[in-house]
Amino acid sequence: MSHENLNGCIILKDLHYSVADNTWVKVNDDGTVTVGMTDVAQNLAGPILHARTKGVGTGRRKGKPIATVESGKWVGPVKSPISGEIVGVNEGLEADAQLINRSPYRNGWVVKMKPENLDAELADLETGDAAVASYKAKMENDNMAGCTHIEGSDTYE
Amino acid sequence: MADDHEGKRILVIQTHGIETPTRTYSPVFYAMAAAAMEIEVMLWFTMNGTNQLRKGEAEKIQLDPTSNVNLKTMLNMAMDSDVQLRVCQQSLELWDMKPEDLIDGVEILGATSIIDLALNYDHVMYF
Repeated sequence: MSHENLNGCIILKDLHYSVADNTWVKVNDDGTVTVGMTDVAQNLAGPILHARTKGVGTGRRKGKPIATVESGKWVGPVKSPISGEIVGVNEGLEADAQLINRSPYRNGWVVKMKPENLDAELADLETGDAAVASYKAKMENDNMAGCTHIEGSDTYE
Repeated sequence: MADDHEGKRILVIQTHGIETPTRTYSPVFYAMAAAAMEIEVMLWFTMNGTNQLRKGEAEKIQLDPTSNVNLKTMLNMAMDSDVQLRVCQQSLELWDMKPEDLIDGVEILGATSIIDLALNYDHVMYF
């Protein structure tokens, strides 16, 4: 999977990003989407203590929380980058919320959703080189030096 | 799995101020947690709690010297999360503070307002 490394912050180019809300969307073959937090988000939060997802069957408008995440220094919502129904949650986060820190794009995914208006809403998200450029600008604008990772985090060659 | 608390309202009352730094963070953090859970939350400052709202004071309260987060950062994050910050008008006089001494984003309300709020909100948390 093609990726970019911005001072340690990994951006996977085939995902679709809400750069403002630091979330990503992956379109699955079965018509569902997987949603998670970005590497930048896990870095800003720091080691995550708890992640509470909304339940399966919950309908969400774009921008509404699909989960709440708390670390020692931050607590906040994970805002849904698309509208739809939650059809799966990452049960592993309950026992080990730091999956999000170690593997934000793989084992630390947050929910799966059945999208309502995917084509139109994907157009509002950024992907590929455009997403990389937006993150680069955001990091400069926010004076963010880069990302650090806890032990056992995914590596990208 | 989180319960659905959407539509609920919590009033958080903070009476502790800059002279007790370790009592300042938690009420703000709980307010942010409530906001993240889609609960409407108001953070009400009175008694000593009011003095942390004087411009320049909250920046001095930093519980973890290795972190870049201070109390002002926390208050800003709370406001960014749609936590409403209110201060008791009568308590401003206690600290010889004028409205212009307050950090941006804080509204001033009188004593009768807090009684209204306490009766109308779903839950009140006192600190």
